[in-house]
Amino acid sequence: MGTLDYASRIELDTAAENNGLAQMVAGLILQNLQENPSKRDDFARLRGKVAIVAEDAEVAMTLHFEGNMLTVYDGIEGIPDVTVRARGEDIVQMSLLPLTRLGLPDLRADVGREILQKSQSGQVRVYGALLHVPLLLRFTRLLSVN
Amino acid sequence: MSHQFPSEAWAAAYQKAVNENPQYRSAGKDWTHGKVAFVVKADPSLDLPNDMAILLDVNAGECHGAAYMTGDAARTGAAFAVEGPYDHWKQLILEGLDPIKALMQGRLRLTKGHLPTMIRYVESSKQLLASAQNVPTAFRR
Repeated sequence: MGTLDYASRIELDTAAENNGLAQMVAGLILQNLQENPSKRDDFARLRGKVAIVAEDAEVAMTLHFEGNMLTVYDGIEGIPDVTVRARGEDIVQMSLLPLTRLGLPDLRADVGREILQKSQSGQVRVYGALLHVPLLLRFTRLLSVN
Repeated sequence: MSHQFPSEAWAAAYQKAVNENPQYRSAGKDWTHGKVAFVVKADPSLDLPNDMAILLDVNAGECHGAAYMTGDAARTGAAFAVEGPYDHWKQLILEGLDPIKALMQGRLRLTKGHLPTMIRYVESSKQLLASAQNVPTAFRR
């Protein structure tokens, strides 16, 4: 797959321009796409809505993936397929999740184990995961800085 | 003795505070990605007619220098720049506001630098900013 102009394929809705979480996640996805070709296939295949709520920061955002296109909204937009609710620092930690050689989240690594524990204790909650496994896996890979 | 924030004297005290923070020394030991600027946006009511900044020369868990300068000069010299209005910096220093939360809320912005790198060193960033709480600070308001 050739290199697309990813900056023009990630659109921040006007209302999201002052949402720091939206800026961070959109910026992270853009830099990952520009620097890591292995993430481009996931971006091309991603379709659906992922909402992220940073509970302690009281900030929410929605990512609407439409296959090589992403629109980022402030707050919860429409009905998300997957919703992640966690503390801001846990959301950042999720982006540090290492991946296995098969591209799956490495839950044996320190970060993976910590996220798993937080998930089991309810500190990190992911709604819709079981119904949208491919969406969640692709999104996790796209977001990971590893 | 308190030092006015931001100022040359505050920058010098901040450098000392960073180097006296063992948690920063540990979290930042692998940081070799360049200088970091904390930019305070212009606020003429506080005698800050231009953006002003503290430029930190941090490397491998040590702060080798902290210089007070204009925002433009700091942005040029820094690999990373974090910017925000005076009151948000004040809240961060005074109350220990979590910098990640501040970034997510849009109170501070990363205006220069490689975001994935910043995220890999999030604990280092937190400790760098936490060190500011140990500087005796006099605020302009």
